[in-house]
Amino acid sequence: MLFNSVAFLIFLPLVVVLYYLLPNKYRWALLLAASYFFYGSWKVEFLTLIVFSTVVDFKVAHWLHRQDIKWKRRSLLAISLVSNLGLLFVFKYLKLFLPDIDAMQANIYTVDHPLQGLLVQGIYFSIPVGISFYTFQTLSYTIDVYFKRIEPEKHLGKFALFVTFFPQLVAGPIERFSRLMPQLKMKHSATYAHFKNAFRLMLYGFFIKLCIADNLAPLVDQVYANPGNFSQLHVWIGTLAFGFQIYADFAGYSLIAQGAALCLGINLMDNFRTPYLSTSIGEFWSRWHISLSTWFRDYLYIPLGGNRVKVFRWGVNIMLVFIISGFWHGANYTFLIWGGIHGVLYLIERVLRAFQSAVKRFNISLPAHRFFGLRPLKYLPNLASGIVIFAAVNLAWIFFRIDSIEHVGTHFGALWSSTGAQTLNFTWVIVIVLVIFVVFDILLYNKRFDRFMENKPLLVRWVVYAGLLWCIWAWAGMANHPFIYFQF
Amino acid sequence: MIVAWKHIVTKALPRLIFLVGFAWLCNWMYTRWYWQDDLDLHAELLSKFYDVRDSSDILYFGESSNMTTSPNDSLPLAISEFIDRDLIDYRVGTVDHAGYHVGQYLPVIKHIDPNGPVKAIIVTMNLRTFGPDVIHSPNEASLQKSSRLSENQAPLLNRFLASLNYYDKKTGHERDIMKWENWTYDTLRLANDSSTFDYPTVRRWCEVVKFPDSTGAENMPLRILADQNIKVYGFEVDEHNPMVQWCDEIVAVARQKGIHLFFSLLPENIQQSEELAGRNLAQLMRQNRDYLVHRYAVDGVTVINNLELIDDIHFLDREVFPTEHYDQFGREAIADQVSRAVVRVAP
Repeated sequence: MLFNSVAFLIFLPLVVVLYYLLPNKYRWALLLAASYFFYGSWKVEFLTLIVFSTVVDFKVAHWLHRQDIKWKRRSLLAISLVSNLGLLFVFKYLKLFLPDIDAMQANIYTVDHPLQGLLVQGIYFSIPVGISFYTFQTLSYTIDVYFKRIEPEKHLGKFALFVTFFPQLVAGPIERFSRLMPQLKMKHSATYAHFKNAFRLMLYGFFIKLCIADNLAPLVDQVYANPGNFSQLHVWIGTLAFGFQIYADFAGYSLIAQGAALCLGINLMDNFRTPYLSTSIGEFWSRWHISLSTWFRDYLYIPLGGNRVKVFRWGVNIMLVFIISGFWHGANYTFLIWGGIHGVLYLIERVLRAFQSAVKRFNISLPAHRFFGLRPLKYLPNLASGIVIFAAVNLAWIFFRIDSIEHVGTHFGALWSSTGAQTLNFTWVIVIVLVIFVVFDILLYNKRFDRFMENKPLLVRWVVYAGLLWCIWAWAGMANHPFIYFQF
Repeated sequence: MIVAWKHIVTKALPRLIFLVGFAWLCNWMYTRWYWQDDLDLHAELLSKFYDVRDSSDILYFGESSNMTTSPNDSLPLAISEFIDRDLIDYRVGTVDHAGYHVGQYLPVIKHIDPNGPVKAIIVTMNLRTFGPDVIHSPNEASLQKSSRLSENQAPLLNRFLASLNYYDKKTGHERDIMKWENWTYDTLRLANDSSTFDYPTVRRWCEVVKFPDSTGAENMPLRILADQNIKVYGFEVDEHNPMVQWCDEIVAVARQKGIHLFFSLLPENIQQSEELAGRNLAQLMRQNRDYLVHRYAVDGVTVINNLELIDDIHFLDREVFPTEHYDQFGREAIADQVSRAVVRVAP
């Protein structure tokens, strides 16, 4: 069940009404049943994986809690890591080590036994939706119990709800136990303020998913399918369009998730904070997919030693974190390169910053400082670095979006020079919704849409709501594109 | 608790009323300024219907069979245009689109005004579309989107539902698997014949070497064409077939609107199918034809059986793929059959 589906628009109000009608002690059961139904609507078979992951981590956490012997604790943690990452490996990465996918795709039509066919499909084509998200969420729980940061949950059903809570199950935000579980246990009352803010978040979320991401998707698909067929300008448009598409797609999903959870009185963490307004790669990663970046920071970067190690080791750690985070996205070498590029950019940025500090410390006079005898304009460096970061991030997206490593050269070649005659159908409706989106993104710098609207005059609020509703109803894209991050 | 809900309802109710009014206004604006663009882009069939509905006594719903012509034709008219020429007392309007089938005609037929000039509709019934090859075609999601946009309700609602992908939106890969399952597991048999096929499934049938030469090598162009014939015609129609269900709905809608319905079963190249794949395939095709003819032998419906009307030579793509594209002779022959049927019903 996708958020942008009629089924979800019926499912959510139904769950919300039942939730508030039920006494508090039964609400977890309703939410768990709703979450399993939500997940099972993709493929019932995959529920077994999530149940397996839940039971393993629930039991391991309890054994860990009762165990003080170091090697036994480590072994228990290893059980959780191996079972969770093992699932991830089998369903997501195994195909990298198996024969060519095209050959297997042909094979799917020739295998004799239905079970054999199912296995091929399972491994090659049907990555269980959201497996990377819920696996990381349960892993963070076990690791937190291992490091004694939290007490294990005693109730299997409530723990299962923490793993499967439907608004954030399939594409995050990847919540921490210490943040989500108390909210799931708390008694929530229906308040107008909750519903109002939930409506605002979902309205804006639907706007950016349906009007931005879904309108840009066909343009991006065309350019990435055959960049050489388009003129250089159109290849650039298509390439930049993907930057907006993926942002609108994922941020839109996250806002709808937050809105859906807020209907139930639960606050999910912010996953995006206007990332394209970042002036450094470090800042970009503190604004883009925040729940994943903080996960990698807390459960990989810091355990590796963080910045309390020698410079070389620190550099290796940084590269490792970025490459693994790239690999988390999918079983393709292009994701590794994408992560690697961000790692290299981050390291370059840190070196430059160190150089800048040295310049300041030793009062070295550089030509820029002597420009007309003035100090550099206050905002110019920020604007310039903002543009550089935007360009770098968008060029790096090429590796994220491209089908295979062999096509990278063709795409960059077309960016450099292309004389294709095909043109993109870049309608004025797309231009209008993009302008609205960019203006809002700037206005929402460090703010969330619901809070931003809170203090606006009534007329302004309703003009905005009406405008967004019009865009959703009349100008939404009609391409059949599921959320990009569902495949991860 | 009750106080909280009362507060919520008091606050939300006026807003909901505003929302309903605003939705009505949006629908009016959308229909006036944007709908036509969307129809041209995604639901051209409805657009064509609106062009001809007020100036036609009979509407002809067709696909590429209607519009495909040969460069050798002396008169490159569509089947519907030949019918219009033959039926001098009636105005025949054309509502056609390549690749469409009864599933797309149905929502458009629902738009017919029972008090309008349209008194009869001719719906092409393409036997090939009843098989898994077309039912599970990768184009089907796009066709279903077109049907969604053509539904007879507020255009803005249709558009919103289409943007939420509220239609059968299975991916090409999912459809490939369904097709593969049909070809692998559906057992083929003849209704009045106790003996089973030598190759009871499409897959087994396709695996057979068919045209070996003296060296043992196979004539691959012929083999490919034979296998294509088996894949597109190797199926049995029953009441669970989605095309049959759409045809049933078309019958119901036509009755409800008081218009006469003609199903024109298009000719297929049975001669070639028999030559390439054997008698069993031709028998299957005839069996499916009989099923459809009998199923729709009801009041208010006329089935025009053209299945074996045309010889192999008149099929334009006969060396490439089994299609319903005919030369001028073929199109005129079909038009003649249809015109006669219309005259028989309303002389």
